[in-house]
Amino acid sequence: MSTQENVIEIRNLSKVYRDFWGRKKVQAVKSLSLDVKKGEVFGLLGPNGSGKTTTIKMLLGLLFPTSGEIKILGKRASDVAKNERIGYLPEESYLYRFLNADETLDFYGRLFNISAAERNQRADELIKMVGLDHARRRQLKEYSKGMTRRIGLAQALINNPELVLLDEPTSGLDPIGTREMKDLILKLKDEGKTVVLCSHQLADVQDVSDRIAMLYQGELKVLGGVDELLELRGETQIRTGNLSDEGVEELKALLAKHGMKDSLIQKPRADLEELFLRTVRESGERPGRRFTAEEMAATQPADTGKSGDAS
Amino acid sequence: MDFDPTPYNIGLGLKNWLSLVGIIAGLGILLGLVGSFASAGGGGGGLFSNGISSFFKELASISPRRVWALASLTLKEAWRRKALLVFVVFAVLLMFAGWFLTDSNDRSDLQINVHITFMLTTISWLILPVVMFLSCWGIPEDIRIRSLHTVVTKPARRVEVVLGRMLGFSIMSTVILLLMGTVGYIWIERQAPKDLDQGKFLTCRVPVYGGLFFLDRQGMPTSQGLNVGDPWLYRSFVEGNSRCRAVWMFNEVTPEKLGNELRLESRFEAFRTIKGSADTIQQGLEAQYTLVKNMREEAFSSFGVGAGLREVAEALRAGDFQSAAELLDAAAERMQSSPADFPQVDCQQVAISCAVQVVPVLRNFKDADLGDVADAFLVFGDAANSVKTGDAASYSELSRACASLAETVRKRADDMFESMPKLEVPLEPFRVSEYHEGDDFITYPRKLKYVADYEGTARFLAKVVSGISEAGKLADGGELSSGLVDELSENHGVSPVNAELVFDVVKSEIDAGTLKVDGNKVEIADGSSWLRLFDRLVREEKLISRDTAGWEMEADIFDDLTVNDYLRVEVACLNDQMFIGMARADLFLRLPDRSFLAGFSKALLNIGLMLSLVIVLGVTASCVVKGPVSFFFTLTIFVIGQFFHQLMLKIVAGSQEGGGMVESAMLIFQHRNPSVGIDANEGTEAVVKGLDWGVNGILKIASNIIPDFSTFSEASAYIENGFDVPWSTSVLPAIMTFVGFLIPCVIIGAACLKFRELEAK
Repeated sequence: MSTQENVIEIRNLSKVYRDFWGRKKVQAVKSLSLDVKKGEVFGLLGPNGSGKTTTIKMLLGLLFPTSGEIKILGKRASDVAKNERIGYLPEESYLYRFLNADETLDFYGRLFNISAAERNQRADELIKMVGLDHARRRQLKEYSKGMTRRIGLAQALINNPELVLLDEPTSGLDPIGTREMKDLILKLKDEGKTVVLCSHQLADVQDVSDRIAMLYQGELKVLGGVDELLELRGETQIRTGNLSDEGVEELKALLAKHGMKDSLIQKPRADLEELFLRTVRESGERPGRRFTAEEMAATQPADTGKSGDAS
Repeated sequence: MDFDPTPYNIGLGLKNWLSLVGIIAGLGILLGLVGSFASAGGGGGGLFSNGISSFFKELASISPRRVWALASLTLKEAWRRKALLVFVVFAVLLMFAGWFLTDSNDRSDLQINVHITFMLTTISWLILPVVMFLSCWGIPEDIRIRSLHTVVTKPARRVEVVLGRMLGFSIMSTVILLLMGTVGYIWIERQAPKDLDQGKFLTCRVPVYGGLFFLDRQGMPTSQGLNVGDPWLYRSFVEGNSRCRAVWMFNEVTPEKLGNELRLESRFEAFRTIKGSADTIQQGLEAQYTLVKNMREEAFSSFGVGAGLREVAEALRAGDFQSAAELLDAAAERMQSSPADFPQVDCQQVAISCAVQVVPVLRNFKDADLGDVADAFLVFGDAANSVKTGDAASYSELSRACASLAETVRKRADDMFESMPKLEVPLEPFRVSEYHEGDDFITYPRKLKYVADYEGTARFLAKVVSGISEAGKLADGGELSSGLVDELSENHGVSPVNAELVFDVVKSEIDAGTLKVDGNKVEIADGSSWLRLFDRLVREEKLISRDTAGWEMEADIFDDLTVNDYLRVEVACLNDQMFIGMARADLFLRLPDRSFLAGFSKALLNIGLMLSLVIVLGVTASCVVKGPVSFFFTLTIFVIGQFFHQLMLKIVAGSQEGGGMVESAMLIFQHRNPSVGIDANEGTEAVVKGLDWGVNGILKIASNIIPDFSTFSEASAYIENGFDVPWSTSVLPAIMTFVGFLIPCVIIGAACLKFRELEAK
């Protein structure tokens, strides 16, 4: 793959945190090398303290590498000019709490070379996109955590960036917000933008990422495509409509004939996220109603991608 | 407030600034290099050069739009965090201040001063803590709550963050200042006593200070007057009824600057040696101004200080140039016979006087060409400069030069006398109160009536009579014209009785053959000048005024009494055995007053600059350390700069009594007076001096890098004392100080923020 297609190039990147006297406290990142390609959604995974956020902050120039090299959009990480084409959503939405949504986006927009008319138009679109139209005049100190994440995302997109860095994008969001965030990431990808997200919400990363890198104690442990990494090569999954008990028995017999004696065949289950989303949707359509388990099971969509596995 | 103001020297200030900034930049580069090599080993050079180049690239790409965005953010932050609540405190203070500040026993002008002082002090000290807190906590708080991360990950440069913060806080403080200033101005106007003409007190006097020297009891110039035993040597005294004078030389005395009048304001100190009665004490002492145009003083005031040439100098100053020539001849002989009368040190002074004063003044004469006299003085000065004690040859040379000078002076005596007039215009005496009740302010018209002295009479009559003679009106048919009396009284302001006196004297001179009449022309028989004739007549007391008012004449201050726009004002004490004390700032020319509002605005401008400088320092410190540390750092700098900067300068310059820090400490321990010094042997003294040398070095550095905040508060002192705030001595230094610190502070702050890891753990 040619260099032009790499939006981010990291070579032998290390970061050592030192104390006031220069003594080594901890090595947060160890000889990390990886590339992020144009147009992909790249997930940076790892448990707490694995070096994800440190890596993101070195990409942004908030931290200085101890050694190694970073190229981001063809420029050095310390070059402020690169920020013209980058959007960044920090782990917490570190915004000015005395501003309201309009003022926040106007302020961040002014930091870019964007005309007032375009700035106002983009701010309006983004506020509507993140669903804060009703609260645009309220100061951010009155916002809930989810609302703060949304306005944080809006500010990250004010300059229509080519590269979006999202640090724990779904942190603090309710399932609806999480779903919307994931949809948005996929939308950004469709628009040709490159997205780097770092999270320990594995399911979220899995849902949207093309490729992932997994860090552990500062070291790169896994790097590759999601499909490629998650494929279970020793198993086969069969999905079908509702099967009768006889059908199940016949299927088991057939599998036994092919040597598959411990096959598991059972009713699929939706995951909790799906259930939550449906409950909220139904509640909106039929207010004041409480749903039974049977009703919820009856409304289970036939084509859900979250059904239980037969393995 | 400096009553002896010296205009700010931009060139010198800029030179000092450049050298200081150069040193700091050099140290910064050295520190950066060491840091780079320490962190990156062999690659430190590359790291450093990359860092420096990217830093300067950032400096070059500062965007006013982004700076304004950050400044607006700062303003919104201050507004929403209710920084303007300080105005409420101000309003509450104003509501009740009048109760405590107004005292009906006080003089009205003092009351107004108290109100102005209260207002300016309140404004400064209320806003100061607010801006100090906000500026010191702004960036550290941004870093702590990480809101700065979302800013610096946009294209905002760190230098723009620093500038934006500084600009925002400065605008905020300016807005509060303007609000308070407006309310304060209205309050002062309302508080001014209603029974007085407000304009008289709420005004800004514009003083023009002159240079001051004294004449001693012999009338010789000296830098100090008499000391009456007052340990405070600020004022020097002149003795009453003697030749003692305080002499002020004022520059740029032109009608364009002063208008068509002379306004003199003084505050002298009266000192009595005898008690007097209650009435005389109440009346005070009598002083008198004399406006003097004395070209001989201009040329010869410093000549002949030593005993050997004193008589020559006095004759030169008296305008008796023939006598001066004879005395020079006598001196030339004595230089050979008793050179001890002319010690080397006196000769050196004569040489300096010739080079610095006599020759330049004589060369620049407009009325007559006295170049040959100047040359003779130059040769004499050179010879005096070469004199060495015990070297007979040098004294012979001096003697020859002196004789040559005598010859030249003798030859040009008439021309010198004619072109070097002395005109003295004594003004009406005034009282100097022993208990000051405001300043003595007197206005004189441009045209002054005065009673001429001998020389004035002679010059006036010589000019008038020679003019009449040239016009052919002095004689008629070989006889003195009878119309002379009418001509003098009608066209030249001479009283009729004195006109008749002139007629009689001129007629007697014609009769005596001193004057020749030829047709309608009158000429002097021996070919000398009219001035010489009338000078002789006056000295022979033939022209004593028959009018009891004397020879009353008129002089124009600007045309007749100034020399190259310099005006000489002499002050005398008229009471026997009494003294009047004066210092340079005690007398000044008062230019047309300026409006109080303009002066008040300038004082506010200086306060605004002071607050902005505090903001600049606070923001810079906050780029390096956290809020509390930054606050105490800025507070310390402010306190030292406001209250101790002048002391530091004095200690560094060695003019502070008690010596340096260690010496002062020893004096305290030894319970000794600073004027007697420490009680120690030579070795200990050397150690103390050595330690003080080191401490003084540190103080010298500190005095250069800590701003002198008293520069800003000086403007308030001017307005509080009823003076206009002078641009060149108060406002300009404040602006230059602010800009001088702003530029390096922005660079230091931006560099510290750029090379700092915002997320360092």
